Amino acid sequence: MVLVEAIRQAFRTLRTEKLRSFLTMFGVLWGTASVVFLVSWGLGVQAMMEAGYSRAGKNLMQAWPGVIGEQFTPATDRRELWFTTADVTAVREQVRIIDAVAGEARMWSTVVFREKTFSTDVRGVEPAQTELRGVRMAAGRGISRADLDHRRRVAVLGTEARRRLLGARGGIGSWIRIKGQPFQVIGIHARVGTQLWRDQGEELDAQVWIPLTAFFAFGPRFGSDADIVNTILLRLRDRRDYDDAKREARAIIGRRLRVSATDEEAVRIASSLDQLRKLPLEQTSTVLLLLGTTTLLIGGIGILTMMLDSVQERRQEIGVRLAVGARRRDILGQFFLETFVMTALGGLAGIALGVAGCRVLASFETADLIPLPILRAEIVFIALGVMTGVGIASGIIPAWRAAKVDPSVTLRAE
Amino acid sequence: MSDAVIALQGITKRYASGRVRVEALRGIDLVIRSGEMVAIMGPSGSGKTTLMEILGCLLQPSEGQYRFKGRPIHQIPPDGLAALRGTELGFVFQSFNLLPRLTALENVELPLSYRGVTARERHARAHEALLRVGLAERLRHLPSELSGGERQRVAIARALINRPSLILADEPTGNLDSRTGEEIMALLHTLHGEGNTVVLVTHDTRIGDQVERRVAIRDGRIETDTRSP
Ligand SMILES: Nc1ncnc2c1ncn2[C@@H]1O[C@H](COP(=O)(O)OP(=O)(O)O)[C@@H](O)[C@H]1O
Ligand SMILES: [Mg+2]
Repeated sequence: MVLVEAIRQAFRTLRTEKLRSFLTMFGVLWGTASVVFLVSWGLGVQAMMEAGYSRAGKNLMQAWPGVIGEQFTPATDRRELWFTTADVTAVREQVRIIDAVAGEARMWSTVVFREKTFSTDVRGVEPAQTELRGVRMAAGRGISRADLDHRRRVAVLGTEARRRLLGARGGIGSWIRIKGQPFQVIGIHARVGTQLWRDQGEELDAQVWIPLTAFFAFGPRFGSDADIVNTILLRLRDRRDYDDAKREARAIIGRRLRVSATDEEAVRIASSLDQLRKLPLEQTSTVLLLLGTTTLLIGGIGILTMMLDSVQERRQEIGVRLAVGARRRDILGQFFLETFVMTALGGLAGIALGVAGCRVLASFETADLIPLPILRAEIVFIALGVMTGVGIASGIIPAWRAAKVDPSVTLRAE
Repeated sequence: MSDAVIALQGITKRYASGRVRVEALRGIDLVIRSGEMVAIMGPSGSGKTTLMEILGCLLQPSEGQYRFKGRPIHQIPPDGLAALRGTELGFVFQSFNLLPRLTALENVELPLSYRGVTARERHARAHEALLRVGLAERLRHLPSELSGGERQRVAIARALINRPSLILADEPTGNLDSRTGEEIMALLHTLHGEGNTVVLVTHDTRIGDQVERRVAIRDGRIETDTRSP
């Protein structure tokens, strides 16, 4: 009995047993749709998490000065440490694993535009920050090397800072005052969105950036004449280098500050990668895949039981087929293919539903941090694979039962 | 005379259903030659259907030897038996045994579909077979849309489709009224007249008496084997 014949037979069964077939196929349909949807959604959650955590800067770590660790000094008054621009330059020259370095200074300050006053996080930055933080310009330009060299009083605003300070009336070219000093707005950052990780301070969207040199022009900080920066930003080429990069940064900075390379209290390093690495993202994907697969398996069991019933009801038919020349293996193939065709029809419809569902949801513009499914070709192949497995598994038992029917008994039945 | 299509020697069949053992056949010796028409007669429970199932290779005898056209059946592997059923034998059952979801034409085509015959040729031959049994008008009907006599004609057409060496009919008129039964018998006689070998089971002596050779069985044994001149 050829394939075409068996497929025709399967469709005939579907037609004559519409409701029952539909209900059983629905199980497989829902199962494959679940596999596609849940796995895509898992990717979406993962991507959302990654995006949320990298909004402070992708693969970025930050070093803060601390105090010398207890076990590294006999003194009771543990030495307080600070970073200067000279340290930043030294680090920049010596790093190997780390791929980009920038110093950053910060203060909490009132910013004034006309009659409007706004307190926010003002940062002295280098040109590299725009790239290191991964912010794009919505308008104007970022802080340039020339701005630093000439200590220009220019500022770049985050969208939130712009909204609250300038409102609808001001844009590029507006003059604002920071700590009483006039600064000209030269650029506006594109919206960054909610950050799942940030350094102490405001989110990027609420920050005001000025050239690091202009920042130092406000006067000495912490009673020191040196150009003191609060943090050193260090970017990794690859997040897998994180531990090595930390060691490298501590070694270089430690040498400069004359503290031990292993003193984690003296040179404090943190990154969004700390949190991201703790998230059970891979486990979540596995759990979602298992959930979908289980749903599909239950659908497969539905088809299995329906086909077992069907074999029982059609013993007469099997007897007739054997009497007119069918081999056992023809019967086996017929029932296997019938089951498989049903599984495949339900499964393909389920994949279509899952893909459509993902597409529709992914087309929505949503607020930050609501995961949307991310559909990949591999997911469709996974679903097809699992579906094929389920189809084969639920086809074998009924087919085997069918092939064992005794024609002499069934043909006697009136 | 012509060759033996069937040669049975000491055939017995025991059924073991639960603790009860039934001896349905107890030593059957029978030779049926090509072109013969034989009526197997006997009361209900005498073993007629069991004998037919053995002749049709649907059932293995417990003992004895069955040669079909000289070949011992027990030496033929399962696939060979399936092929033999499909090409050499044509079955007609008391309860018709048509597949309810297939049309008359498709039911008749069924044996050919296991022989790898193309759809086109299947159609043509099934059409021809239905024509022979006088059912050319009912090709697209489902069994449920046909009368009992018509269903049995479809079943006979299905039995004929492979031009078998032997037609086995187990009480073909058992589920029909007497007038329709006579029509079916007339059809079987016609087929016999055309040279087909026909073995027919009946417990109705009026039907049996029309047949040239009659084998009476009782309690699984052949009682008499008579031929009309
Ligand atoms: N599958 C079976 N299991 C047990 N006993 C059976 C089976 N088939 C038939 N028999 C018994 O074998 C005997 C012959 O049955 P059967 O060949 O059907 O006779 P007939 O067709 O002449 O009525 C009966 O006693 C019947 O009960
Ligand atoms: Mg009987």
